[in-house]
Amino acid sequence: MKFKLFRAPEGRNGGPADPTDVPRMGGQVLPAADAAPQPERNAAETSLTPAPRPSAGAGGPVGATKICARDVSVFYGDKQALFDVSLDIPDKTVTALIGPSGCGKSTFLRTMNRMNDTIPGARVTGRIEIDGEDINAKSVDPVLLRARVGMVFQKPNPFPKSIYENVAYGPRIHGLATSKGELDDIVQASLKRAGLWEEVADRLHSPGTGLSGGQQQRLVIARAIAVEPEVILMDEPCSALDPIATARIEELIDELRERYCIVIVTHSMAQAARVSQRTAFFHLGRLVETGDTEEIFTNPRERRTLDYITGRFG
Amino acid sequence: MTEATQIDGARVNRLRAGLKRRYARERRFRAYGLLAIAVAVGFLLLLLGRIVEQGHTAFYTHTMTAPVYMDPARVDRAYPQGTNFEQLVAEQQLRRLGVVDDAQGTKASAMRGLFSSELKFVAAELITRQPGLVGQTVTLSAPLSDDADLYLKGEISKDTPAEQRRLSDEQIAWLDRMDAGGQIAAHFNTGLFTKGDSTEPELAGVLGAVIGSALMLLVTALIAIPLGVGAAVYLEEFAPRNRLTDLIEVNINNLAAVPSIIYGLLGLALFINWMHLPRASPLVGGLVLALMALPTIIIATRSSLKAVPPSIREAALAMGASKTQTVFQHTLPLAMPGVMTGAIISMAHALGETAPLLLIGMVSFVPGLPHSLVEPTGALPSLVYIWENASERAFHERTAAAILVLLAFMIVMNAAAIVLRRRFERRW
Repeated sequence: MKFKLFRAPEGRNGGPADPTDVPRMGGQVLPAADAAPQPERNAAETSLTPAPRPSAGAGGPVGATKICARDVSVFYGDKQALFDVSLDIPDKTVTALIGPSGCGKSTFLRTMNRMNDTIPGARVTGRIEIDGEDINAKSVDPVLLRARVGMVFQKPNPFPKSIYENVAYGPRIHGLATSKGELDDIVQASLKRAGLWEEVADRLHSPGTGLSGGQQQRLVIARAIAVEPEVILMDEPCSALDPIATARIEELIDELRERYCIVIVTHSMAQAARVSQRTAFFHLGRLVETGDTEEIFTNPRERRTLDYITGRFG
Repeated sequence: MTEATQIDGARVNRLRAGLKRRYARERRFRAYGLLAIAVAVGFLLLLLGRIVEQGHTAFYTHTMTAPVYMDPARVDRAYPQGTNFEQLVAEQQLRRLGVVDDAQGTKASAMRGLFSSELKFVAAELITRQPGLVGQTVTLSAPLSDDADLYLKGEISKDTPAEQRRLSDEQIAWLDRMDAGGQIAAHFNTGLFTKGDSTEPELAGVLGAVIGSALMLLVTALIAIPLGVGAAVYLEEFAPRNRLTDLIEVNINNLAAVPSIIYGLLGLALFINWMHLPRASPLVGGLVLALMALPTIIIATRSSLKAVPPSIREAALAMGASKTQTVFQHTLPLAMPGVMTGAIISMAHALGETAPLLLIGMVSFVPGLPHSLVEPTGALPSLVYIWENASERAFHERTAAAILVLLAFMIVMNAAAIVLRRRFERRW
């Protein structure tokens, strides 16, 4: 383990985060989420009723806050899948959402590009802002939102078209290229950035479904970045891949971090530790704890986080 | 140690006994499967064999070729159609056979009965085209009558008592002598495929009905496929799930099971009595069949849309494709093989449908070939029905032949379905 074991006692005891963290909290954190919850959490924990209201943005964000979620709840019909999640996600950073199956991390991920809209009976309450703009506002078109917030799914899902067509699809429907040459450039640049160009340059017009699983996943990433999104959501992008393909994707995620705000849902604690700078731990539909990845893995504040990351449940 | 192996041995024996039983069950099941297939194939072969056996004779026919002296005293150059060519040819044939007619001309009349009425038209057309042939001897070729044809095909037997067959002993003797004299030749019955219906079996063909059926299917396809696919796409991809759409779905499923004759009644009331569209026309037939095909197409399209992996939909939506773009650029193209198959199978069903056609008047006798969508025409299945009910025996073999043509039409359509499926099929 590469983590330094610092600040262990305070965190284990559920004490407040190091006060020196506060000035580093990304600047744009809403005061309500910042100031209010901390004493409240202390009260909750001392009374032994675990009702975690983690302070959003505690820890060391790398970029400015890109996505700001406040009291987000998601209902599928009568069933509530997500309970009042408040979380700040910084830009140019990989944020990992971890937690056992069914904990709501994928649901939360899907609220950020409004993919839950496509599920009949799904309802989202609360507020999610990207660059200060409420994405659930009536004036925001989900189609445009999804051009800004790309998504990569668990199972590689290239379209049953050629490699070229897969990558060109987004720029084409959004009218991002005015000429064939421009489109060619976008396709080439996206494939290069996704680290796939070398492998497919000579067969751009063969079917994308003919690639290996890892290549398909990189193709899907190329497809997502071809529209120049600001945020890339990844829903367990490596769970269907072998370790070598996984390593390549992880490298790629690390490279992409310089340009994008990346949110990744993962079941693999090791992966979260390897690729992310920030980690949020979900359990039973609630956000239990969030912070710098190093801190979460070495010095979690919550008992449940510790139990989960040490493999005691999940 | 030995105890352990004993227990192991008993366990293995028990497993082995069970294994034997399991294999026996598998063998039994395979045998049932083979039996089921054998029975099905047997019935199919029986059906096809019977039809082919009954119908193959309709594919050839007999023609008489004889020299005819165009007697200027009998042939009217100005109006050849008015000439009784049959009598002329009959008399000359009798003379050639050395038969002396009686005063009433009964022999000539019997001889005329061996020729098809087509003879008159062949001769008249020849004279109209070349009036100079009057006064000369020409070689005329014309089909024999249906009864003479049946005799030569061996379907009317000399051994049948004379009063029970349609040819007299005398006529049979003449036919035998003409045949021996090389005047009668058998050849492929092209008329069956180039002519419309006729009351004379030897002149009746299926082309009119084939064109009628094709026109009808064209109308059906143009109406039912776009409407059905559109309805299915809307219901599956766009419509909210509520009580109304549930009700619609249940009713579509019910409509698929409504007997086709009901659709005929609906068509009669709606298209003919209310909209006053021409009855027995391919337009009305096609509309009725479209109503009938709609539920099937909707159901087939919906199920093939359902079968498209949701990951493709999600991929498109997550790329910022609109709902419509997702459906028309991804979901529907992937569902296309299933849609095509469903559409073509429902077209094939529509092709063979007879009951609704009876109600909209398509069972009437329509000679000649259709030229438009709004004139009365026949259709293949109703032609089969009409011919089967005809009293002339020669129509029996033609009924079987028409069934074979209908089956061939269907095989072509189903083959098209397979080809289209292959073409549109894509892996994902």
